[in-house]
Amino acid sequence: MPEPMLEVAGLRKFFEVKRGFPRATTVTVRALDGISFTVGAGQSFGLVGESGCGKSTAGRAVLRLIEPDEGRVAFKGEDVLAAGKERLRALRRKMQIVFQDPYASLNPRRMIGKALTEPMRVHGVGAPGERVARAELLLAEVGLPKNAMTRYPHEFSGGQRQRIGIARALTLEPELIVADEPVSALDVSIQSQILLLLQGLQERRRLSFIFISHDLGVVRYFCQSMAVMYLGRIVETGPIPAIFKEPLHPYTKMLRDASPVPDPTRKVAMLRIEGEVPSAVNPPAGCHFHTRCPHAMEICRKAYPEWTPLGDGRGVACHLHKV
Amino acid sequence: MSAATEAPLLELDGLVTEFRTGGAWHAALRGVSFALARNETLALVGESGCGKSVTALSIMGLLPPANSRIAAGRIRFAGRDLVGLSEEAMRKLRGNEISMIFQEPMTSLNPVLTVGFQVAESLRYHRGMEGQAARRAALELLDQVKIPAAAQRFDDYPHQFSGGMRQRVMIAMALACRPKLLLADEPTTALDVTIQAQVLALLAELKSAYGMAMIFITHNLGVVASIADRVAVMYAGAIVETAAVDELFARPTHPYTEALLRTIPRVDEDSAGLAAIPGQVPPLSAMPPGCRFAPRCALREAECEATDPALAPLPAAADHRVRCRVRAPATAAPRHA
Repeated sequence: MPEPMLEVAGLRKFFEVKRGFPRATTVTVRALDGISFTVGAGQSFGLVGESGCGKSTAGRAVLRLIEPDEGRVAFKGEDVLAAGKERLRALRRKMQIVFQDPYASLNPRRMIGKALTEPMRVHGVGAPGERVARAELLLAEVGLPKNAMTRYPHEFSGGQRQRIGIARALTLEPELIVADEPVSALDVSIQSQILLLLQGLQERRRLSFIFISHDLGVVRYFCQSMAVMYLGRIVETGPIPAIFKEPLHPYTKMLRDASPVPDPTRKVAMLRIEGEVPSAVNPPAGCHFHTRCPHAMEICRKAYPEWTPLGDGRGVACHLHKV
Repeated sequence: MSAATEAPLLELDGLVTEFRTGGAWHAALRGVSFALARNETLALVGESGCGKSVTALSIMGLLPPANSRIAAGRIRFAGRDLVGLSEEAMRKLRGNEISMIFQEPMTSLNPVLTVGFQVAESLRYHRGMEGQAARRAALELLDQVKIPAAAQRFDDYPHQFSGGMRQRVMIAMALACRPKLLLADEPTTALDVTIQAQVLALLAELKSAYGMAMIFITHNLGVVASIADRVAVMYAGAIVETAAVDELFARPTHPYTEALLRTIPRVDEDSAGLAAIPGQVPPLSAMPPGCRFAPRCALREAECEATDPALAPLPAAADHRVRCRVRAPATAAPRHA
């Protein structure tokens, strides 16, 4: 593995949520329950899991868009969580985010040119004229015409808006981009356009990515390694080819086998999957996955399995795979 | 196929559905024809705006009357034409002989009524069931769609259910009167993959148990491969390719189908390389003349931009029909107009 761009260790975030009517009670959502992973320089790291597993919280906690409760985040060796206001501002130039729904993340009353030059103004990059010139270059880089500068978000299609979202993330020349489901809201033909665009940018600019997605196919295509999350914890991590060839955690295997492939001779394994996703408010005791696991044993109901590193960058938390 | 000998349950013939925008009528469907047999699943697949949902809403008679109309064509269902049927007659069919389920179950469930009450509603309306009888029948339905502890959850409200369970409730409602035809509009798109797999299994199981015909609308070709018997690929308001599911995936022939398959990053194998389709679907009000896909097509010839090709059978497989003058030149007159 190349030198790490980002190292995350024991990252934790619990939310207190009021629930219920008419008398609300406070419950704790264990959104991130101590996760650790490393993103290599110039690499794409996939964070995979179903809704509510904590993958988006992880992406935001790394950038401190959500303040984590505990843990360590190091960007090129520098402690992100300990950074004061000034340092954090400097770090944010290097770490940017692309959201799933670019329409929700663009101000509808602000022209695209303004949206692109604003971050440069805030961070004091360049003179006004230079900012405009750079914004135009960025638009060209993401495949949009210059005249987009004076248009509003509603004038663009979903795919074009995502291009704008990407251009905005690039305005400060970041080294790491957290891409949170960047292609999930798009039609397949547009999805592949955006994936190819991101791939080109990564190669040209040597960007590192944390790529958050529920779509295993997209992660297999875009990333070199990945982590699978379930109810706030990482259950398996490793290089893409190895995980897809031989998933170790039963949940990883379940996700892979439930993902539909365009081949009628390989229909999704439909009937073997049982059970619902439990909630992160009250995760099952022992291994959180045991309620849905086809291999659940007595010990799985009692003890959460320890993290087991397996070499070659692989690791798994499952009682079936202890050394 | 044995079903071919009996009359199809549903037959669309040259359906043209138009919407009014900016004072002019634009065709969202431009001559859609297909036939569907009992116990058959047809997948309508395509990207946003290709006309999949408009096809379903046309069949259901749920198009907004203020700005839409069926301009031509017929929808023959179990022997009668649904086009021009009175609203009252349609209401007797809907939820009874034809049902529909939608992508987002929360928006189609009433948040202030219990789940059990809503499932029993169509039994009360169409079957005249009352009180305990309706409750018993509704409970049986909830059991059939495998809602755990259905008896305890009967009086719960929709917000107390997860997304997957809500979709099961929708399915129970849709199937209450044992419809002959189920229209499923992206029913698993909003669900997680493991839950999607459960719901697909449930739909396939209930379909064969009831002998229902199903139109399954999706943009996901992987889901199509898992659930469909036959596939119709739509683009810009027309079917551009249709075939049995095995045939379609073995020999995708329309350049759009072929390109779509190359845009999917696959879970089961390393992608040799993703190919994007340049450009985007043209808007209704600015459709190109000739073949609608021509501006984005790699095989485009000058003639493609001038004449709109017909859906023509392939010489090797008459049941595999393709709307492309390069890939499937119409040698004889096409069977369907």
